[in-house]
Amino acid sequence: MEAPKPGRMSSPGAAESTEAITRAKTGDPEAWGELYRVFAPAIFRFCRRALPTREDAEDATMEVFMKVRDKLNQYDSSRPFSSWLYKVAANHCWDLLRRRKIRQDKETEDLDTLPLEHPDANQLEQLIEKRTSEEVRKALDKLPARARMALVLRYYSDMSYDEIADSLGVRRAFVGVVLLRARHELRQALEGSGALAVGGAG
Amino acid sequence: MTPSQGTAQNHLDEMTLLLFLERQLDRERAAEVSSHMQECGDCTTLFRALDRESRLLTRAMLEEEESLPARLASFQQKAKRSMQWIWMVTFGLAATGVYAIYTSYVEPVQNRLQDAGFGGTNLLGLLVFQGAFWKGWQSMLSLVEILAFLVVGVSAALLFRRWFRRGTLAALLVTGMCGALMIPVNAAAFESRKGETVEVSKDESIKGDILLTGNRIVVDGNVDGDVYAFGQDVEVNGHITGDLISGSQTTRVNGTVDGNVRGFVNTVTVAGNVGRNLMAWAQVVNVDSKGKVGRSLTSFCQSLGVDGQVGGDVVSFNQSTRIAGTIDGGLNARGELLTIKSKARITGPVKFEGEKEPRVEEGAVLTAGPVSFTKHMPNHREGGKGYLFFRLLWTCSFILYGMVLTLLMPRFAGDCVSSAENAGPSLGIGLLILLSTPIAAGLACFTFVGLPLGILTLVLWLVLLFSAQIVFGSLLGRWILGPTEDTWGRVGRMALGMAILGVAVIIVHQTNHWIEFFFKMALMIWGIGAISLTIYKRLQRSSGAIVAPPMVA
Repeated sequence: MEAPKPGRMSSPGAAESTEAITRAKTGDPEAWGELYRVFAPAIFRFCRRALPTREDAEDATMEVFMKVRDKLNQYDSSRPFSSWLYKVAANHCWDLLRRRKIRQDKETEDLDTLPLEHPDANQLEQLIEKRTSEEVRKALDKLPARARMALVLRYYSDMSYDEIADSLGVRRAFVGVVLLRARHELRQALEGSGALAVGGAG
Repeated sequence: MTPSQGTAQNHLDEMTLLLFLERQLDRERAAEVSSHMQECGDCTTLFRALDRESRLLTRAMLEEEESLPARLASFQQKAKRSMQWIWMVTFGLAATGVYAIYTSYVEPVQNRLQDAGFGGTNLLGLLVFQGAFWKGWQSMLSLVEILAFLVVGVSAALLFRRWFRRGTLAALLVTGMCGALMIPVNAAAFESRKGETVEVSKDESIKGDILLTGNRIVVDGNVDGDVYAFGQDVEVNGHITGDLISGSQTTRVNGTVDGNVRGFVNTVTVAGNVGRNLMAWAQVVNVDSKGKVGRSLTSFCQSLGVDGQVGGDVVSFNQSTRIAGTIDGGLNARGELLTIKSKARITGPVKFEGEKEPRVEEGAVLTAGPVSFTKHMPNHREGGKGYLFFRLLWTCSFILYGMVLTLLMPRFAGDCVSSAENAGPSLGIGLLILLSTPIAAGLACFTFVGLPLGILTLVLWLVLLFSAQIVFGSLLGRWILGPTEDTWGRVGRMALGMAILGVAVIIVHQTNHWIEFFFKMALMIWGIGAISLTIYKRLQRSSGAIVAPPMVA
């Protein structure tokens, strides 16, 4: 069985061994071990991106797999297994953050007030040009929980807007706003200044 | 104004471009955006910048190949290791249980095997099974039995946990069971006493039932009710108006019990009066010359001796039965040896089914005529025609039974065989179920829940025993012919496996009793384990939850 490629989850569906999943459903420890071996690295990386510390990510990975084991019978085998797995992981991580009150509710209120802007495209291009992946990762770590989670769900797990809305508990119509706001915050963090890195042109 | 120099007024906003990039716009709006972009250089540039930003994000998140931390990589191994630990405990518990069962129940039958030349003088037999090596562990047995019972309790709670809310009730149930076993004072409605030596002293008179647990239990006084006694030695010198239910190493009745005496003990001696019936599962049962049993005597033991008086019939399934007293009823004995001494008086008919001619001494009075003797042919070790015919018949009936089971429950049968392929868990669980169920059922019979549940459990257990061989036969067939999903294919494989098993049993039968015994036991344990595992998985599946193994981080 081939490991899932996060970020492009719809494609590796064929590579997922439905047989191992079926066997794991019946409680076969070997099949379960195989699923864990294949999917644990991706889920760990997901948790690593979504949660503040490495320890949190390690704990969460184990908890996610224990949850998955309990809920395996609820998995609808017509959908890709990795999508379902990321969904469980997303819900778990988001719950975790919520429990810790890291989630900032004011963000919800701000959703409606995102100004319609047309930022300077050249300025944005320059910013992207100059930044390395390393810098982007560091900037991601500085983002508020919701913004970071939204970007991880979309650009790491390749979740649909519906799934993101479901996971974050926002209306579907606002998913784009959440994502755009997160991008703005990321640009801000990349710039390292308080002002919007790429200001509106109008 | 040229499109490439478009102003904010007619530029598309960032949100729209992002939604277009992510294919979230409806077709109409997307077409508008697309046509605008063909004309507007700024918007196209921003669109590309957003696209590059998306790619940068994905790349940044995917690029860093952080290896799986060691504790996550070993997560599964640890889980496996902790499972191994559980299996070791299970095996250990079950192995100790084997000895407990052996000394209590199997030993009485053991001497029947001695004619095969595997007697008590054999060093291995002496060390392992005669108990010389293990005597010091005797006191541990009750603990083992309690543990075995608890294991069954916990397993039952796990099995039926879909009826419990988040295991709370299960915990209560188990706690209740522990409480009932450990602190009977609070668990039972009637009086109870426990300690190293427990006694009802001479001048004491107890109204109602009483539960006595301790190493040495002595009833010198009066109990106006039933006595439940569990300990090493139980002695009744006083008067019990109800029944005496005893589970002990030795039980001796010197006084009077108006009701029945029922015992799961090593040695029962009646030197006083038992008003009604005596029923005993024991190694040795003795009715002393001064002893008297008002009504019938039923015994399952190694040796029964009646020197005193029995008011009703005597039914005995013993290795040896010796009558030197009076029986005001019939005697129906099965076993190896029956001796009727010269002082014996038996008013009813005497039937004996055994291997050797009964010995009736001169002077014995058998009012209803001489002993009706049926020679019992216990074994056909020489592999005679009779035995082969018997095996053939037995195998055929098993195949028939297996066929019915497979046709009735094809999926379940298939699952059982799949479970059987996991030899370790099957053997472990099988051993546990094989040993603990009769103990639990026995305890249920005369402690907590009552006879019907105990008997029902035993019946189910027997059904399980008979089905176990079929599972193993099917597994054998599957090994030879490979797996199949076809029901008749399964039946065929089962029949082939059972036929091979039948031949194997005949071959093993010609070696010696012990090899045959262990061979059959292994088959049964394997099969029982597989069936139990399958039932467990079924219940889990229907409850929609899989119990996570104890995963230790």
